[in-house]
Amino acid sequence: MGLLDVLRQALRTLAAHRSRSILTLFGVVWGTASVIFLMSWGEGVALMIDRGLMKTGKDMGQVWPGRVSEEFTPAADRRWLWFTDADIDFLRRRARLPELLGAEWWEWLTAARGPRSINADVRGVDPEVLAIRGVPVAAGRSITEADLAHRRRVALLGEKARQRLLAPGEGVGTRIRLGGQPFEVVGLLAHVGTQLSRDRAEIDEMIWIPITTAQTHFPAWWTDEPVVNRVLYRMRDRSLRVETETEVRALLAERLRVGATDEEAIGIFSSVEMLEEIQVDRIVGVLFIIAVTTLLVGGIGVATMMLDAIHQRRREIGLRLAVGARRRDILLQILLESLGITALGGVLGIGFGVAACAGLARLHVEDLIPLPVLRPGIVATAVVVLVFVGTTAGLLPASRATRVAPAEVLRNE
Amino acid sequence: MSAGPLLELQGVAKRYATGRTAVEALRGIDLRVDRGEFVALMGPSGSGKTTLLEILGCLSLPSEGRYSLAGRPVEEIPADGLAKLRGEEIGFVFQSFNLLPRLSALENAELPLVYRRVGRGERRERARAALERVGLGGRERHLPGELSGGERQRVAIARALINRPRLILADEPTGNLDTTTGGEIMALLAGLHAEGNTVVVVTHDARVAERADRRLTIRDGRIAEDRSTH
Repeated sequence: MGLLDVLRQALRTLAAHRSRSILTLFGVVWGTASVIFLMSWGEGVALMIDRGLMKTGKDMGQVWPGRVSEEFTPAADRRWLWFTDADIDFLRRRARLPELLGAEWWEWLTAARGPRSINADVRGVDPEVLAIRGVPVAAGRSITEADLAHRRRVALLGEKARQRLLAPGEGVGTRIRLGGQPFEVVGLLAHVGTQLSRDRAEIDEMIWIPITTAQTHFPAWWTDEPVVNRVLYRMRDRSLRVETETEVRALLAERLRVGATDEEAIGIFSSVEMLEEIQVDRIVGVLFIIAVTTLLVGGIGVATMMLDAIHQRRREIGLRLAVGARRRDILLQILLESLGITALGGVLGIGFGVAACAGLARLHVEDLIPLPVLRPGIVATAVVVLVFVGTTAGLLPASRATRVAPAEVLRNE
Repeated sequence: MSAGPLLELQGVAKRYATGRTAVEALRGIDLRVDRGEFVALMGPSGSGKTTLLEILGCLSLPSEGRYSLAGRPVEEIPADGLAKLRGEEIGFVFQSFNLLPRLSALENAELPLVYRRVGRGERRERARAALERVGLGGRERHLPGELSGGERQRVAIARALINRPRLILADEPTGNLDTTTGGEIMALLAGLHAEGNTVVVVTHDARVAERADRRLTIRDGRIAEDRSTH
């Protein structure tokens, strides 16, 4: 039997019961399309969560100073801690696991422009922080080393901060006041959008100024040292999250003379940890199981149709056995026919699934729901599942076919 | 053709379990058929002649007794070997033709070659020659539904002889045909016999049986009569 003969026979089996075949094929087509669409959509959900969480900064960790824990010191003298420029220099020299380390200062300040004023989350940043946050500048320029060196009073405005503070038409070059001090807007940050993780305000609402300017013009009341409120870092690799946190905490603890594992003294948070906790894989896994179950139900349709066909073709099978077919020739033929029917539905289903993914992308609803992300691996998975379903669906009919007794079915009627 | 036993049966019995009762279709058949014989199996319906033919053709195995085909005890041959034997040594002709309705005459005739893994080109050539041999040259592309009863049986005979088998088994080959056409089919089988083939025909028609040179009559699962006419 050539492969072509087998496919032809598969088509004949389908043609023999047209309406039933359409229902059966529909099951396989629907199941395959579901696998493609749901898995792509799961991929899209995962990507949306990932992107949403990484909007504060890709693979970013945030470190803040706290208070020595009760476990390390008597409650009475639990001292408050703060970071300074010297601590950051120390950390930059010693830490190996962070790819980038930046210092950030923060304060809620009154921002004013003419008669308008808002309460803004103002951040003092250095070039490393700018790189870690990774927000492009939409207009004007970014904050530079020169700005830091000269402690210039320049500011970058987030999209919403600009809308609230500036009049329409105003932008780069506008003079504003932050905490009473005059500043010049030198750049506007690009739109960031909804963040699934944030530190205080969203980036769109922030105003960024050079950290040295902030330390000079808005000094801490409790010390003359240049205070750093938080350390931001980018880990080299997501899988090294825990190791990176351990290293950073241990170095800062050594420097501030607190316990190396005191999480109250040195607080660290990372959106990578949130991502780990959300377990996107499980969401994708549930979608996969739903989709594959649909396809298996389609396979049951194929199996019952094949069983029926085998019953009607007993005489043919008996004759093939009589003219020299071995049992395994018959087994192979029926399995291939089952695979052929499944393949027909599968090709259509892959087509529909891919079309559905492409169709959703053309509706431009990416702000409302996650868009499906079709990867070649998903199509490959669908093919593997189809081969499994087709083979499994053919097993029972095939074994039934090999049990045909030629002497019985070939008897003259 | 060289003489010598092609088929040898000793005490062959066959029982079927139909529901709760066991039917004894054959009860102790001793038979020897030499190469080149033309044998007619006769007997009333239900006498067991078709069962005997099925055993001869290795389509079913005896419940008891021994059957040797060309010197080999059939019960010792594994299932795949039996399939090979059926494909290569035996050609079947049935009363109801048993052609595959969606295959052309040529494709029906070449079917045994398919399972011998003969290449497509050689298959076509041999099937064409076989159809020619049974007088169906030019009908290769017809579907069974487009052929008359006699023509269908000729296709079946072409299929039976395509592997040049040692043994041709026919079960009421003329049963579904009118007298004239039946006569032509029997002439064809007689011709195959004349070429040296061993032919066994089951029939209840005495005129058909007259063509054979040996007539066996079966009653109640036993050989009641064994007469040679030549």
